[in-house]
Amino acid sequence: MDELTFRRQAYGEPNNQDPEFLHAAMESAEREAFLNDLKGLDNKIEKALNIDVPDDLAAKLLLRQQLQHHHSQRRKTGFAFAMVASVAFLAGITFTLLRMGPVDLGQHALAHVYHEGKALQLDNNVQYQDVNFQLASLGTVGDMKFTQQPGKMFYSTYCDFQGVRSLHIVMQGEQGKVTLFIVPLEDRMVLEQAFSDSKYKGLGFTTDNAYMLLVGEKHDDLNYVKNEIKQTFI
Amino acid sequence: MFDSWRNKKSSTTVSSDMVSKQRRYDSLVRALHTDIYRYGYWLCGDKHIAEDITQETFLRAWRSLDSLKDEKAAKAWLITILRRENARRFERKQFNYSDVEQEFLEDTFSSSTEDHAEQHLLQRQISKLELEYREPLLLQVIGGFSGEEIAKILDLNRNTVMTRLFRARNQLKDALEQPTIRGQSNG
Repeated sequence: MDELTFRRQAYGEPNNQDPEFLHAAMESAEREAFLNDLKGLDNKIEKALNIDVPDDLAAKLLLRQQLQHHHSQRRKTGFAFAMVASVAFLAGITFTLLRMGPVDLGQHALAHVYHEGKALQLDNNVQYQDVNFQLASLGTVGDMKFTQQPGKMFYSTYCDFQGVRSLHIVMQGEQGKVTLFIVPLEDRMVLEQAFSDSKYKGLGFTTDNAYMLLVGEKHDDLNYVKNEIKQTFI
Repeated sequence: MFDSWRNKKSSTTVSSDMVSKQRRYDSLVRALHTDIYRYGYWLCGDKHIAEDITQETFLRAWRSLDSLKDEKAAKAWLITILRRENARRFERKQFNYSDVEQEFLEDTFSSSTEDHAEQHLLQRQISKLELEYREPLLLQVIGGFSGEEIAKILDLNRNTVMTRLFRARNQLKDALEQPTIRGQSNG
């Protein structure tokens, strides 16, 4: 390695560990002294460059990042919370509006009969006093009652007509069984005089305090039960 | 049910990702903040500005920590951010930060020992170096980078870097060897 290249390399990188360079440095005592001189300079430069760093700089850096991170996290959860809240609010409103909407009693009665198919198979031989007892807890129907047994009653239970507590009774008609729903009067209910689908026929009428809905397979049964009720229910 | 289980699992991995990111950042700060601050200081010559751009650099690093794949490259990566941050400073503010008049010059010269005096002189000379000579020297001495790595960071070719290092040392050496002559000629 010629003198010029050596000197340039020595100036460029005194602590170069390249074997060729190290070998070149060993060639003469002058070169060695020259290189040591430069290394000495480099030590001084390094010391000069190593200015004091503020003690708390690392802590400050971490703190600032944490704060910013915390901030963005807050923003994110805030946004998520707002979304969840508005969805819940919307769901609440929708649900309430649905419940407030008009209720077609006839269709609901049919659906109810299909839904509780077992009601038509049971035979609990219910007494009218028991039914009166159940009627007593139906709010506005409270002062209504059967004065005597209106034919045989197979089954009686509470049920729900779009949020209105009602009574579900299965009675004996002329031939088949007839389902009777007693639903307390309510503004949003829409009562049809007659309704039907492919299997069942229905009849609706109003007493002073309640809607009466009859569902059965034959018109004769319905009229038979209707008459019975008119005689016994006040 | 399956859905909620899956959600739960993914949210725990997200938070554990967060934790490991935080750990990486912590160690990055502890290991490198000294070098970055010093580099920043010698780049701009002002302690407060150096602290500011160090803060900015590490905040940026936090935001894009995921893009740092190789931990060995962390120092070069941070220095690149720092240099960009320093350049941004000149875009933002129109007034000129002089490279020559440095704050540390107010250091009490007379009460220092001879060693200190020499160091002070050297610091003064380093800050007087042209930035194009000073920066390769900073990268070599503070950063510990090789000629090739410096060339990559500064986007120069290696020969240019070596020439600049040569001139930087040469100027410093001259300045140290003839301080009184210089003083006289200045006076």
